[in-house]
Amino acid sequence: MVLFTIAIRNLVQARRRSALLSLAIGLVTMLLVLMMALSAGINDNLVRSATIMSAGHINVAGFYKPTNAMSLAVVTDVGELRNIVEENTPNLDYTIDRMRGWGKLISDTGTVQTGFSGVDLADESHFLEVIQLAKESDYKDGGRDEIIGDPSQLAGGNTIMLFVNQARRLGVGVGDTLTIQTETVGGYTNTADVTVVAVARDVGLLSGFATYVPKQVLRDLYQLSPDTSGAVWVYLKDIEDADATMKHLRGVFEAKGYRLMDHEAVPFFMKFETVQGEDWTGQKIDITTWKDEVVMLTFVITAFDTVTVFLVSILVLIIAVGIMNSMWNAVRERTREIGTMRAIGMTRTRVLAMFLVEAFVLGLFATTVGATLGAATAFGLNALHINVPNDAVKAILLSDTLRMSVHVQSLFIAVGFLTLCTGLSALWPALRASRLSPVVALGHTE
Amino acid sequence: MPAIVQLTNAVKEYPLGKLVVKAVRGVDLSIERGEFTAISGPSGSGKTTLLNLIGCVDVPTSGTVQIDGQSTSALSDRQLTDLRLHKIGFIFQSFNLINVLDVYQNVEFPLLLQGELSASDRKKRVEEMVEKVGLTTQIKQRPNELSGGQRQRVAIARALVTRPAIVLADEPTANLDSATGKAIIDLMKDLNHKEHITFIFSTHDANVTSRAGRVVRVVDGLLAQAAEHA
Repeated sequence: MVLFTIAIRNLVQARRRSALLSLAIGLVTMLLVLMMALSAGINDNLVRSATIMSAGHINVAGFYKPTNAMSLAVVTDVGELRNIVEENTPNLDYTIDRMRGWGKLISDTGTVQTGFSGVDLADESHFLEVIQLAKESDYKDGGRDEIIGDPSQLAGGNTIMLFVNQARRLGVGVGDTLTIQTETVGGYTNTADVTVVAVARDVGLLSGFATYVPKQVLRDLYQLSPDTSGAVWVYLKDIEDADATMKHLRGVFEAKGYRLMDHEAVPFFMKFETVQGEDWTGQKIDITTWKDEVVMLTFVITAFDTVTVFLVSILVLIIAVGIMNSMWNAVRERTREIGTMRAIGMTRTRVLAMFLVEAFVLGLFATTVGATLGAATAFGLNALHINVPNDAVKAILLSDTLRMSVHVQSLFIAVGFLTLCTGLSALWPALRASRLSPVVALGHTE
Repeated sequence: MPAIVQLTNAVKEYPLGKLVVKAVRGVDLSIERGEFTAISGPSGSGKTTLLNLIGCVDVPTSGTVQIDGQSTSALSDRQLTDLRLHKIGFIFQSFNLINVLDVYQNVEFPLLLQGELSASDRKKRVEEMVEKVGLTTQIKQRPNELSGGQRQRVAIARALVTRPAIVLADEPTANLDSATGKAIIDLMKDLNHKEHITFIFSTHDANVTSRAGRVVRVVDGLLAQAAEHA
């Protein structure tokens, strides 16, 4: 306790030095918290956009090969697959099945290559809850500053819902007609005219490659039977269970005699070449997690985290030098005091502890303030709903608005890590202080 | 009863560049329990080095220093620290109080290092000691709020609070005016008389020397008698 008292009072006594160091440590903590919040925000965006557009938490999909050289990314007898999943998935929230396709979307003024998701609104009660529509002014020059369109019209007919970036590139809005052009498994080109019924807000990079049409539109285009679909998307109550549940489901399907593809952490569209080169025909099931389907996007998070580590390391290094220098000064200024304490009967270990406690107290105080301010800033920025004006930044953030996600765990990590760095920076001066001979320290003059 | 302090042919040498300075040159000295001993001599004569050897903050280059029957040369740093903590109290010329602690905390500090008394016993002991040196009303003040004489009283209380066998005082009156210095010596003498604590203090002030029960004169690192024969 006395070491703690001495630490606090010495810090107060050298208040100018303590304040400057606290400011530096606090700012770095704040920056670390903000970077972690941004990284977590990107991760949340990725999860959100991936699990809306590209995958369920787990995907029971596969390939059908009518001949050795032909392959389709479809599963047959989808009803039975869903039954197996629903009966054997612990912690299940719900399942849906989606048709999948790839082709051209043609307007009077432009063409885009995109993926098509075939939805059945009667089956997907959650779909309309997660889609956020854009204002007309977001995708049309001179458009109204209000939301128009109705995604519930995807329930039937030849309809389509686009994202803002596609509507802009194609120069269309709600009510306009587009042509979908795809290629069937036999190599024929099929087309269908569809009417734009809604335009949704972008959700990162993935919105550049996704559109929504009723399932029947894709079935007609690809000439598929009603019990054929693209994939069963499985949603769990906790996404963290995805890996374990995927392994469990693989075991279940294997036990029921289904042929399974080896697990590979790549999206389904990157598997065509491999599958076509393989010597088998018929149906094989492929079970993946959402991460596997968007693995090409996780580089954004990896790159961002690498930048964070690099930046914080440099700042920590600068702060460590500052703390070390400050502690050297403290040791020099208090050499006689150290000599006195040693003469009175303080052990070397306690002298070491005394300086370390001082550094840890300073570190804990500064990092706690910094982390609190960092979290408050993140919440403040979220509340402002800041729109990201630049497409490149949108692509990095995987969102059109700045979104930060503050986790209590990351606050503890920031505080713990930087307090430890502060303490360790003081180790060398503290060791030198503890090794001072009492007779030398007592004779020291400033 | 064996002497509380026993120096036998104690030598202390310090390297000074390429030279070796002999601060203490073969001192034989025996001090009995309860003595009130002054070590006098001119500046640079070796008084402080002698006190450092007796106070176990330094060990002799050769010869032996025994404190309460224990030879300091044979002890590790930790054992020497423990010996200082339990058997020796220090009073310094510049008081050497811990500036960030108040009077109570300064006096309590050695007891906390010992860690042997309960909080209530510690409080009782500290308050008793502070009362003995007459600083009860200043108990919450910090050293920079006290006069020189009051600071030295705090240092005395801190030195005595652990009830050591020996109290060493290095020029305890050097930074005080003569009236305050006299009061400090009176206090030390009173404690020596009442508590039977061995006091050994260095001084070159004749007025202070005259109050000692025994005076050991040091000249050029030797005791005066030996110096005359050297």
